[in-house]
Amino acid sequence: MEETILSVSDCIALINQTLEYAYPIVTVEGEVASFKVSKGKFIFFDVKDDEGVLNCFMMAYGLRTPLEDGMRVRVLAQPRLTAWGKFSLTVRDIRAVGEGSIKRSFELLKAQLDKEGLFDSNRKRPLPTMPERIGVIASVESAGYADFIKILQNRWGGVEVEVADVQVQGMRAGMQIINAMSHFNEHRKPVEVLILIRGGGSAEDLAIFNEEPLVRAVAASRIPTLVGVGHEVDVSLCDLVADVRAATPSHAAQLVVPDRQALLNELSEKERHLVARLHQHVQHYTVQVNKTTERLLSHIHHVLVTQLHHVEYSWQILKQLDPKTVLRRGYSLVRASHGVLVRKAADVREGDTLTIEVEHAIIQAGVKNVRKK
Amino acid sequence: MSVKNEKRLKHQLAELDELIAWFDQDDFDLDEALEKFDEGVKLAESIKQRLKKLENKIIILKQRFDQPNSEAE
Repeated sequence: MEETILSVSDCIALINQTLEYAYPIVTVEGEVASFKVSKGKFIFFDVKDDEGVLNCFMMAYGLRTPLEDGMRVRVLAQPRLTAWGKFSLTVRDIRAVGEGSIKRSFELLKAQLDKEGLFDSNRKRPLPTMPERIGVIASVESAGYADFIKILQNRWGGVEVEVADVQVQGMRAGMQIINAMSHFNEHRKPVEVLILIRGGGSAEDLAIFNEEPLVRAVAASRIPTLVGVGHEVDVSLCDLVADVRAATPSHAAQLVVPDRQALLNELSEKERHLVARLHQHVQHYTVQVNKTTERLLSHIHHVLVTQLHHVEYSWQILKQLDPKTVLRRGYSLVRASHGVLVRKAADVREGDTLTIEVEHAIIQAGVKNVRKK
Repeated sequence: MSVKNEKRLKHQLAELDELIAWFDQDDFDLDEALEKFDEGVKLAESIKQRLKKLENKIIILKQRFDQPNSEAE
Protein backbone atom coordinates (compact mmCIF):
# COMPACT_ATOMS: atom_id res chain seq x y z
CA MET A 1 0.00 0.00 0.00
CA GLU A 2 1.40 3.29 -1.13
CA GLU A 3 1.82 5.85 1.55
CA THR A 4 -0.24 9.04 0.96
CA ILE A 5 1.22 12.17 2.40
CA LEU A 6 -1.32 14.77 3.35
CA SER A 7 -0.95 18.38 4.35
CA VAL A 8 -2.28 19.18 7.83
CA SER A 9 -5.29 21.02 6.47
CA ASP A 10 -6.03 18.24 3.97
CA CYS A 11 -5.78 15.75 6.81
CA ILE A 12 -8.28 17.81 8.85
CA ALA A 13 -10.54 18.10 5.78
CA LEU A 14 -10.36 14.34 5.19
CA ILE A 15 -11.21 13.55 8.79
CA ASN A 16 -14.10 16.00 8.67
CA GLN A 17 -15.36 14.45 5.41
CA THR A 18 -15.25 11.00 6.98
CA LEU A 19 -16.97 12.25 10.07
CA GLU A 20 -19.67 13.98 8.02
CA TYR A 21 -20.24 10.80 6.03
CA ALA A 22 -20.36 8.54 9.07
CA TYR A 23 -22.04 10.85 11.58
CA PRO A 24 -23.71 13.79 9.84
CA ILE A 25 -25.58 14.55 13.06
CA VAL A 26 -25.25 13.03 16.50
CA THR A 27 -27.57 13.39 19.45
CA VAL A 28 -25.67 13.48 22.71
CA GLU A 29 -27.03 13.75 26.20
CA GLY A 30 -24.90 15.02 29.07
CA GLU A 31 -24.33 17.68 31.65
CA VAL A 32 -23.29 21.22 30.77
CA ALA A 33 -19.95 22.46 32.10
CA SER A 34 -17.73 25.50 31.47
CA PHE A 35 -20.57 27.39 29.79
CA LYS A 36 -19.47 30.75 28.40
CA VAL A 37 -20.64 33.32 25.88
CA SER A 38 -17.97 35.06 23.87
CA LYS A 39 -18.51 38.55 22.41
CA GLY A 40 -22.25 38.02 22.84
CA LYS A 41 -22.24 35.90 19.68
CA PHE A 42 -20.44 32.62 20.28
CA ILE A 43 -21.22 30.02 22.88
CA PHE A 44 -18.71 27.50 24.17
CA PHE A 45 -19.42 24.76 26.66
CA ASP A 46 -18.70 21.13 27.41
CA VAL A 47 -21.07 18.22 27.76
CA LYS A 48 -19.81 15.61 30.10
CA ASP A 49 -20.65 12.47 31.93
CA ASP A 50 -18.67 10.57 34.55
CA GLU A 51 -16.17 9.30 32.06
CA GLY A 52 -15.83 11.80 29.28
CA VAL A 53 -16.04 15.39 28.08
CA LEU A 54 -16.93 16.86 24.65
CA ASN A 55 -16.34 20.46 23.59
CA CYS A 56 -19.36 22.18 22.06
CA PHE A 57 -19.72 25.34 20.02
CA MET A 58 -22.81 27.20 18.82
CA MET A 59 -24.00 30.62 17.70
CA ALA A 60 -25.80 32.57 20.41
CA TYR A 61 -28.90 33.16 18.26
CA GLY A 62 -29.43 29.41 18.03
CA LEU A 63 -29.90 29.12 21.79
CA ARG A 64 -33.58 28.71 22.59
CA THR A 65 -33.46 28.17 26.30
CA PRO A 66 -31.03 29.57 28.85
CA LEU A 67 -28.24 27.22 29.88
CA GLU A 68 -25.98 27.06 32.84
CA ASP A 69 -23.48 24.64 34.25
CA GLY A 70 -24.91 21.53 35.79
CA MET A 71 -27.98 21.38 33.54
CA ARG A 72 -28.75 18.15 31.77
CA VAL A 73 -29.12 18.69 28.03
CA ARG A 74 -29.70 16.86 24.79
CA VAL A 75 -27.53 18.22 22.00
CA LEU A 76 -28.13 17.75 18.28
CA ALA A 77 -24.76 18.41 16.71
CA GLN A 78 -22.31 17.93 13.90
CA PRO A 79 -18.95 16.43 15.02
CA ARG A 80 -16.04 18.36 13.65
CA LEU A 81 -12.29 18.67 13.93
CA THR A 82 -11.28 22.35 14.10
CA ALA A 83 -8.38 23.94 12.22
CA TRP A 84 -6.55 23.89 15.55
CA GLY A 85 -6.89 20.15 15.80
CA LYS A 86 -9.50 20.17 18.54
CA PHE A 87 -12.49 17.93 18.35
CA SER A 88 -15.76 19.78 18.87
CA LEU A 89 -19.50 19.46 18.37
CA THR A 90 -21.14 22.21 16.34
CA VAL A 91 -24.52 22.43 17.99
CA ARG A 92 -27.63 22.65 15.76
CA ASP A 93 -30.14 22.32 18.53
CA ILE A 94 -30.00 21.99 22.27
CA ARG A 95 -32.63 21.55 24.90
CA ALA A 96 -32.77 20.86 28.57
CA VAL A 97 -33.85 17.38 29.59
CA GLY A 98 -34.99 16.01 32.91
CA GLU A 99 -37.37 17.80 35.21
CA GLY A 100 -34.76 19.71 37.19
CA SER A 101 -32.93 21.14 34.18
CA ILE A 102 -36.14 22.03 32.33
CA LYS A 103 -37.38 23.81 35.42
CA ARG A 104 -34.11 25.65 35.94
CA SER A 105 -34.02 26.80 32.33
CA PHE A 106 -37.64 27.92 32.62
CA GLU A 107 -36.87 29.92 35.77
CA LEU A 108 -33.84 31.61 34.20
CA LEU A 109 -35.77 32.76 31.10
CA LYS A 110 -38.79 33.71 33.17
CA ALA A 111 -36.66 35.98 35.35
CA GLN A 112 -35.10 37.57 32.26
CA LEU A 113 -38.44 38.22 30.51
CA ASP A 114 -39.98 39.50 33.72
CA LYS A 115 -37.11 41.97 34.04
CA GLU A 116 -37.87 43.16 30.52
CA GLY A 117 -41.50 43.76 31.52
CA LEU A 118 -42.99 41.24 29.08
CA PHE A 119 -45.42 39.92 31.70
CA ASP A 120 -46.68 43.36 32.78
CA SER A 121 -50.43 43.61 33.07
CA ASN A 122 -50.47 46.95 31.24
CA ARG A 123 -49.20 45.18 28.12
CA LYS A 124 -52.30 42.96 28.05
CA ARG A 125 -54.84 43.82 25.39
CA PRO A 126 -58.50 42.83 25.67
CA LEU A 127 -59.86 40.27 23.21
CA PRO A 128 -62.70 41.33 20.88
CA THR A 129 -66.10 40.42 22.35
CA MET A 130 -67.66 38.96 19.21
CA PRO A 131 -64.82 38.27 16.80
CA GLU A 132 -65.70 37.72 13.16
CA ARG A 133 -62.30 36.37 12.09
CA ILE A 134 -59.94 34.40 14.27
CA GLY A 135 -56.61 32.71 13.60
CA VAL A 136 -55.76 29.37 15.20
CA ILE A 137 -52.28 27.84 15.39
CA ALA A 138 -52.53 24.15 16.25
CA SER A 139 -51.98 20.66 15.01
CA VAL A 140 -55.29 19.76 13.36
CA GLU A 141 -54.70 16.12 14.29
CA SER A 142 -54.45 16.89 18.00
CA ALA A 143 -57.07 16.29 20.66
CA GLY A 144 -56.57 19.87 21.85
CA TYR A 145 -57.62 21.23 18.46
CA ALA A 146 -60.64 18.88 18.33
CA ASP A 147 -61.72 20.07 21.79
CA PHE A 148 -61.32 23.70 20.78
CA ILE A 149 -63.39 23.33 17.59
CA LYS A 150 -66.07 21.30 19.36
CA ILE A 151 -66.59 23.94 22.04
CA LEU A 152 -66.41 26.75 19.47
CA GLN A 153 -69.12 25.10 17.35
CA ASN A 154 -71.32 24.47 20.39
CA ARG A 155 -71.04 27.98 21.69
CA TRP A 156 -71.15 30.30 18.75
CA GLY A 157 -71.40 30.78 14.98
CA GLY A 158 -70.66 33.24 12.23
CA VAL A 159 -66.90 33.18 12.78
CA GLU A 160 -64.37 32.68 10.04
CA VAL A 161 -61.64 30.49 11.56
CA GLU A 162 -58.28 30.33 9.77
CA VAL A 163 -56.21 27.42 10.97
CA ALA A 164 -52.44 27.13 10.55
CA ASP A 165 -51.68 23.43 10.87
CA VAL A 166 -48.29 23.08 12.59
CA GLN A 167 -46.38 20.57 14.64
CA VAL A 168 -46.75 21.29 18.33
CA GLN A 169 -43.90 19.13 19.57
CA GLY A 170 -40.54 18.07 18.28
CA MET A 171 -37.61 19.89 16.76
CA ARG A 172 -39.53 21.74 14.05
CA ALA A 173 -42.48 22.79 16.19
CA GLY A 174 -41.07 26.05 17.57
CA MET A 175 -40.00 27.30 14.16
CA GLN A 176 -43.29 26.32 12.51
CA ILE A 177 -45.31 28.12 15.16
CA ILE A 178 -43.13 31.24 14.84
CA ASN A 179 -43.59 31.17 11.05
CA ALA A 180 -47.34 30.75 11.44
CA MET A 181 -47.41 33.70 13.85
CA SER A 182 -45.63 35.88 11.29
CA HIS A 183 -48.00 34.64 8.58
CA PHE A 184 -50.98 35.92 10.55
CA ASN A 185 -49.23 39.12 11.61
CA GLU A 186 -48.19 40.00 8.08
CA HIS A 187 -51.60 39.24 6.60
CA ARG A 188 -53.14 42.14 4.71
CA LYS A 189 -56.47 41.49 6.38
CA PRO A 190 -55.36 40.45 9.88
CA VAL A 191 -57.56 38.25 12.04
CA GLU A 192 -58.90 39.86 15.22
CA VAL A 193 -57.37 37.40 17.64
CA LEU A 194 -54.66 34.77 17.37
CA ILE A 195 -55.09 31.57 19.34
CA LEU A 196 -52.26 29.16 20.05
CA ILE A 197 -53.42 25.81 21.38
CA ARG A 198 -51.99 22.47 22.34
CA GLY A 199 -53.41 19.76 24.53
CA GLY A 200 -51.68 18.26 27.54
CA GLY A 201 -48.33 16.50 27.43
CA SER A 202 -45.18 15.83 29.40
CA ALA A 203 -42.95 18.67 30.56
CA GLU A 204 -40.61 17.86 27.67
CA ASP A 205 -43.49 17.92 25.15
CA LEU A 206 -44.56 21.33 26.37
CA ALA A 207 -41.01 22.67 26.59
CA ILE A 208 -41.20 24.42 23.20
CA PHE A 209 -43.72 26.86 24.69
CA ASN A 210 -40.92 27.98 27.00
CA GLU A 211 -38.37 28.53 24.24
CA GLU A 212 -37.19 32.10 23.99
CA PRO A 213 -37.76 32.75 20.25
CA LEU A 214 -41.36 31.49 20.42
CA VAL A 215 -42.11 33.32 23.67
CA ARG A 216 -40.77 36.54 22.14
CA ALA A 217 -42.81 36.00 18.95
CA VAL A 218 -45.99 35.67 21.03
CA ALA A 219 -45.07 38.79 23.02
CA ALA A 220 -44.41 40.73 19.80
CA SER A 221 -47.65 39.80 18.02
CA ARG A 222 -49.54 42.81 16.68
CA ILE A 223 -52.72 40.75 16.88
CA PRO A 224 -54.01 40.10 20.44
CA THR A 225 -53.04 36.61 21.54
CA LEU A 226 -54.83 33.89 23.44
CA VAL A 227 -52.70 30.94 24.50
CA GLY A 228 -54.15 27.68 25.76
CA VAL A 229 -51.43 25.11 26.25
CA GLY A 230 -51.52 21.88 28.24
CA HIS A 231 -53.70 21.34 31.25
CA GLU A 232 -54.79 23.81 33.87
CA VAL A 233 -51.68 23.23 35.99
CA ASP A 234 -49.22 23.81 33.14
CA VAL A 235 -48.14 27.42 32.89
CA SER A 236 -45.80 28.13 30.00
CA LEU A 237 -43.90 31.32 29.31
CA CYS A 238 -46.07 31.70 26.17
CA ASP A 239 -49.07 31.77 28.54
CA LEU A 240 -47.44 34.49 30.59
CA VAL A 241 -46.66 36.81 27.67
CA ALA A 242 -50.00 36.23 25.91
CA ASP A 243 -52.68 38.88 26.20
CA VAL A 244 -55.02 36.28 27.66
CA ARG A 245 -54.17 32.88 29.07
CA ALA A 246 -56.56 29.96 28.76
CA ALA A 247 -56.12 26.97 31.05
CA THR A 248 -56.84 24.47 28.26
CA PRO A 249 -57.79 24.50 24.55
CA SER A 250 -61.49 24.07 25.52
CA HIS A 251 -61.18 27.01 27.86
CA ALA A 252 -59.66 29.04 25.00
CA ALA A 253 -62.83 28.42 22.95
CA GLN A 254 -64.92 29.60 25.90
CA LEU A 255 -62.88 32.78 26.20
CA VAL A 256 -62.85 33.70 22.54
CA VAL A 257 -66.57 33.57 21.68
CA PRO A 258 -69.74 34.27 23.63
CA ASP A 259 -72.14 31.46 24.43
CA ARG A 260 -75.11 31.41 22.06
CA GLN A 261 -77.40 29.80 24.65
CA ALA A 262 -76.43 32.31 27.33
CA LEU A 263 -77.09 35.14 24.89
CA LEU A 264 -80.47 33.65 23.96
CA ASN A 265 -81.36 33.47 27.64
CA GLU A 266 -80.16 37.01 28.10
CA LEU A 267 -82.37 38.10 25.19
CA SER A 268 -85.42 36.44 26.75
CA GLU A 269 -84.54 38.18 30.00
CA LYS A 270 -84.35 41.50 28.15
CA GLU A 271 -87.75 40.88 26.58
CA ARG A 272 -89.21 40.15 30.01
CA HIS A 273 -87.62 43.31 31.31
CA LEU A 274 -89.20 45.31 28.48
CA VAL A 275 -92.64 43.88 29.25
CA ALA A 276 -92.20 44.57 32.95
CA ARG A 277 -91.06 48.13 32.35
CA LEU A 278 -93.93 48.83 29.98
CA HIS A 279 -96.41 47.34 32.45
CA GLN A 280 -94.91 49.42 35.24
CA HIS A 281 -95.19 52.61 33.20
CA VAL A 282 -98.79 51.82 32.14
CA GLN A 283 -99.66 51.23 35.78
CA HIS A 284 -98.04 54.47 36.73
CA TYR A 285 -100.12 56.26 34.07
CA THR A 286 -103.30 54.48 35.20
CA VAL A 287 -102.76 55.60 38.77
CA GLN A 288 -102.18 59.16 37.56
CA VAL A 289 -105.34 59.11 35.43
CA ASN A 290 -107.38 57.66 38.31
CA LYS A 291 -106.11 60.30 40.70
CA THR A 292 -106.91 63.10 38.24
CA THR A 293 -110.39 61.66 37.60
CA GLU A 294 -111.04 61.44 41.32
CA ARG A 295 -109.97 65.02 41.80
CA LEU A 296 -112.17 66.13 38.93
CA LEU A 297 -115.20 64.22 40.25
CA SER A 298 -114.72 65.59 43.74
CA HIS A 299 -114.55 69.11 42.32
CA ILE A 300 -117.74 68.58 40.29
CA HIS A 301 -119.46 67.18 43.38
CA HIS A 302 -118.47 70.20 45.39
CA VAL A 303 -119.79 72.59 42.73
CA LEU A 304 -123.04 70.65 42.49
CA VAL A 305 -123.59 70.64 46.24
CA THR A 306 -122.96 74.37 46.43
CA GLN A 307 -125.38 74.96 43.58
CA LEU A 308 -127.97 72.73 45.20
CA HIS A 309 -127.72 74.64 48.44
CA HIS A 310 -128.16 77.82 46.53
CA VAL A 311 -131.24 76.51 44.74
CA GLU A 312 -132.67 75.23 47.99
CA TYR A 313 -132.18 78.60 49.65
CA SER A 314 -133.77 80.41 46.70
CA TRP A 315 -136.62 77.97 46.80
CA GLN A 316 -137.21 78.69 50.47
CA ILE A 317 -137.24 82.41 49.74
CA LEU A 318 -139.59 81.89 46.82
CA LYS A 319 -141.82 79.74 48.95
CA GLN A 320 -142.13 82.53 51.52
CA LEU A 321 -143.22 84.85 48.75
CA ASP A 322 -145.88 82.56 47.37
CA PRO A 323 -149.41 84.13 48.00
CA LYS A 324 -150.71 80.67 48.86
CA THR A 325 -148.26 80.54 51.79
CA VAL A 326 -149.69 83.83 52.95
CA LEU A 327 -153.27 82.48 52.64
CA ARG A 328 -152.23 79.45 54.68
CA ARG A 329 -151.21 81.79 57.45
CA GLY A 330 -154.82 83.15 57.53
CA TYR A 331 -154.53 86.18 55.27
CA SER A 332 -157.06 86.71 52.43
CA LEU A 333 -156.94 88.13 48.97
CA VAL A 334 -159.79 90.57 48.28
CA ARG A 335 -160.70 91.38 44.69
CA ALA A 336 -163.24 93.88 43.38
CA SER A 337 -165.81 92.80 40.83
CA HIS A 338 -163.48 93.43 37.93
CA GLY A 339 -160.87 91.16 39.50
CA VAL A 340 -158.49 93.90 40.69
CA LEU A 341 -156.98 93.41 44.15
CA VAL A 342 -158.44 95.81 46.67
CA ARG A 343 -155.65 97.93 48.14
CA LYS A 344 -157.29 101.30 49.00
CA ALA A 345 -160.70 102.84 49.71
CA ALA A 346 -161.10 104.10 46.17
CA ASP A 347 -161.02 100.55 44.78
CA VAL A 348 -164.50 99.77 46.17
CA ARG A 349 -167.85 101.38 46.69
CA GLU A 350 -170.72 100.54 48.94
CA GLY A 351 -172.87 97.83 47.44
CA ASP A 352 -170.04 96.27 45.39
CA THR A 353 -169.61 92.53 45.48
CA LEU A 354 -166.11 91.43 46.56
CA THR A 355 -164.46 88.08 45.96
CA ILE A 356 -162.49 86.97 49.03
CA GLU A 357 -159.96 84.18 48.63
CA VAL A 358 -158.81 82.24 51.72
CA GLU A 359 -156.72 79.07 51.86
CA HIS A 360 -159.50 76.68 51.15
CA ALA A 361 -162.42 78.86 49.94
CA ILE A 362 -163.61 81.61 47.65
CA ILE A 363 -166.23 83.80 49.30
CA GLN A 364 -168.50 86.37 47.64
CA ALA A 365 -169.37 89.32 50.01
CA GLY A 366 -171.12 92.67 49.77
CA VAL A 367 -169.56 96.07 50.76
CA LYS A 368 -171.53 97.87 53.40
CA ASN A 369 -169.28 100.75 54.19
CA VAL A 370 -165.94 102.18 52.95
CA ARG A 371 -163.72 104.59 54.77
CA LYS A 372 -160.08 105.51 54.68
CA LYS A 373 -157.68 104.27 57.35
CA MET B 1 -73.24 34.02 7.32
CA SER B 2 -71.36 36.93 5.91
CA VAL B 3 -69.29 39.43 7.83
CA LYS B 4 -71.87 42.07 6.96
CA ASN B 5 -74.66 40.06 8.58
CA GLU B 6 -72.52 39.38 11.58
CA LYS B 7 -71.90 43.10 11.95
CA ARG B 8 -75.61 43.63 11.83
CA LEU B 9 -75.97 41.28 14.78
CA LYS B 10 -73.58 43.34 16.89
CA HIS B 11 -75.37 46.47 15.78
CA GLN B 12 -78.76 44.96 16.62
CA LEU B 13 -77.61 43.97 20.10
CA ALA B 14 -76.40 47.51 20.73
CA GLU B 15 -79.70 48.88 19.44
CA LEU B 16 -81.66 46.61 21.79
CA ASP B 17 -79.59 47.74 24.76
CA GLU B 18 -80.28 51.35 23.82
CA LEU B 19 -84.01 50.66 23.71
CA ILE B 20 -83.92 49.02 27.11
CA ALA B 21 -81.97 51.96 28.51
CA TRP B 22 -84.68 54.25 27.11
CA PHE B 23 -87.30 52.30 29.07
CA ASP B 24 -85.27 52.62 32.22
CA GLN B 25 -85.26 56.40 32.16
CA ASP B 26 -87.93 58.18 34.22
CA ASP B 27 -89.26 60.69 31.80
CA PHE B 28 -91.03 59.18 28.85
CA ASP B 29 -94.07 59.34 26.67
CA LEU B 30 -96.52 56.43 26.69
CA ASP B 31 -97.28 56.52 22.96
CA GLU B 32 -93.59 56.49 22.19
CA ALA B 33 -93.13 53.70 24.73
CA LEU B 34 -95.64 51.49 22.93
CA GLU B 35 -93.85 52.03 19.63
CA LYS B 36 -90.47 51.35 21.19
CA PHE B 37 -91.81 48.29 22.96
CA ASP B 38 -92.96 46.79 19.63
CA GLU B 39 -89.63 47.68 18.12
CA GLY B 40 -87.75 46.07 21.02
CA VAL B 41 -89.68 42.82 20.92
CA LYS B 42 -89.26 42.53 17.14
CA LEU B 43 -85.55 43.25 17.47
CA ALA B 44 -85.05 40.63 20.20
CA GLU B 45 -86.90 38.03 18.11
CA SER B 46 -84.88 38.83 15.02
CA ILE B 47 -81.61 38.49 16.97
CA LYS B 48 -82.77 35.14 18.36
CA GLN B 49 -83.54 33.84 14.88
CA ARG B 50 -80.20 35.07 13.61
CA LEU B 51 -78.32 33.48 16.51
CA LYS B 52 -79.95 30.13 15.85
CA LYS B 53 -78.84 30.17 12.23
CA LEU B 54 -75.20 31.30 12.64
CA GLU B 55 -72.56 28.87 11.39
CA ASN B 56 -68.77 28.95 11.61
CA LYS B 57 -66.55 28.68 8.59
CA ILE B 58 -63.33 26.77 9.23
CA ILE B 59 -60.51 27.17 6.73
CA ILE B 60 -57.40 25.05 7.19
CA LEU B 61 -54.55 26.91 5.50
CA LYS B 62 -52.78 24.88 2.85
CA GLN B 63 -49.31 26.31 3.32
CA ARG B 64 -46.69 24.64 5.48
CA PHE B 65 -44.71 26.71 7.91
CA ASP B 66 -41.24 25.20 7.64
CA GLN B 67 -39.88 28.32 5.98
CA PRO B 68 -40.24 31.86 7.26
CA ASN B 69 -43.16 33.15 5.41
CA SER B 70 -43.99 33.18 2.36
CA GLU B 71 -46.64 35.37 0.97
CA ALA B 72 -49.15 36.85 3.29
CA GLU B 73 -52.41 36.91 1.38
